[in-house]
Amino acid sequence: MPDPIHQFDINRIIPIKIFGWDASFTNSSLFMVVAAVLTVGFIMVSMSGRSLVPNRMQSVSEISYEFIANMMRDAIGDGWQKFFPYVFTLFIFIFVCNMLGMIPGFFTVTSHIAVTAALALLVFTSVIIIGFAHNGLGFLKLFVPEGVPAAILPLVVVIEIISFLSRPLSHSIRLFANMLAGHITLKVFGGFVVMLLSAGGAVSFLAPLPIVAAVALTSLEVLVAFLQAYVFTMLTCMYLSDALHPGH
Amino acid sequence: MSGPADDRGSGGSRKPPDDAAAFEARLSDLEAKLGKVKAARGDPREAEAEARIRGRGMAYGMRMATELVAAIIVGGLIGWGLDWLLGTKPWLFLAFFLLGFAAGVLNVLKAYERLRKDIAAETGGRIGRRVPDDED
Repeated sequence: MPDPIHQFDINRIIPIKIFGWDASFTNSSLFMVVAAVLTVGFIMVSMSGRSLVPNRMQSVSEISYEFIANMMRDAIGDGWQKFFPYVFTLFIFIFVCNMLGMIPGFFTVTSHIAVTAALALLVFTSVIIIGFAHNGLGFLKLFVPEGVPAAILPLVVVIEIISFLSRPLSHSIRLFANMLAGHITLKVFGGFVVMLLSAGGAVSFLAPLPIVAAVALTSLEVLVAFLQAYVFTMLTCMYLSDALHPGH
Repeated sequence: MSGPADDRGSGGSRKPPDDAAAFEARLSDLEAKLGKVKAARGDPREAEAEARIRGRGMAYGMRMATELVAAIIVGGLIGWGLDWLLGTKPWLFLAFFLLGFAAGVLNVLKAYERLRKDIAAETGGRIGRRVPDDED
């Protein structure tokens, strides 16, 4: 049976060593570059016309702009415009990486926790920096909910701090685990087809069954690929909203 | 459109009077049927809002589990680290594990509250409306 984990192997394409650190250009780096180039290229080409009545490609760019803008307006409220480039880049990068991963033989960048954790920690640290920059020490109000009796306040503050610290963990694990699990499941069902066929005889006639399952799973995975990019972005918006208005 | 064999009922005014009456009857019959189907299906805008809410519900459902587990892990790790620093094994680990669980429940409650607010705003308060607790 083909190894379902093999698809996540990292291979060095151009080995690079910086002061003993392994900073090689890997297949993961390659697909990140592909995602970035595809996105920038598509947006540049689609927006080159800048017509008042958009054609199809321009519509795609405009719809994705409006999708993120509406999400941010709802979740962040006043002052969302400043963070639009950041959130939009995050969403498009994760979405394109997830979707590239759906193409057979392609590497799924977001199926590695190193990548998702880096993205989540980026959000986490930027929320802390933006929070303190915007509200000064008032940002600490985030950990002190209103209307709590003084007797249990220390306990509640500790719980709130743990809740805050758990954000980057849940933020990164959700994306990574969903992509990893989905791709393993697809591979396992694909492996069943090979196993049934190679078993020979009457058993081979069962081979179409896992194909049907794999087709259904593929469409589910496309949905998950979008949903996870959406969830990651929506949570980023909520955290940014906390950084801007920690009072509630 | 112009032929006499046109029986699609598209030009009611050009037909003889009895034909027009039959056409009217068919039209009202169709309207009644359509009304029944519409009543059974409900408002299309409502169905659209429900579909959107279902998508968001899926997104939130995927959140809940990791929110709970992540807080427990972080709580446990903090306790374990403090134990290691202060040499109080295993008490701080146990205490922070429980606090982590509380933080996890808090995370889930916060996420739920957010979802409820979103849906209430979207549907004008028909779904996700707060119902007074009858046990108080």
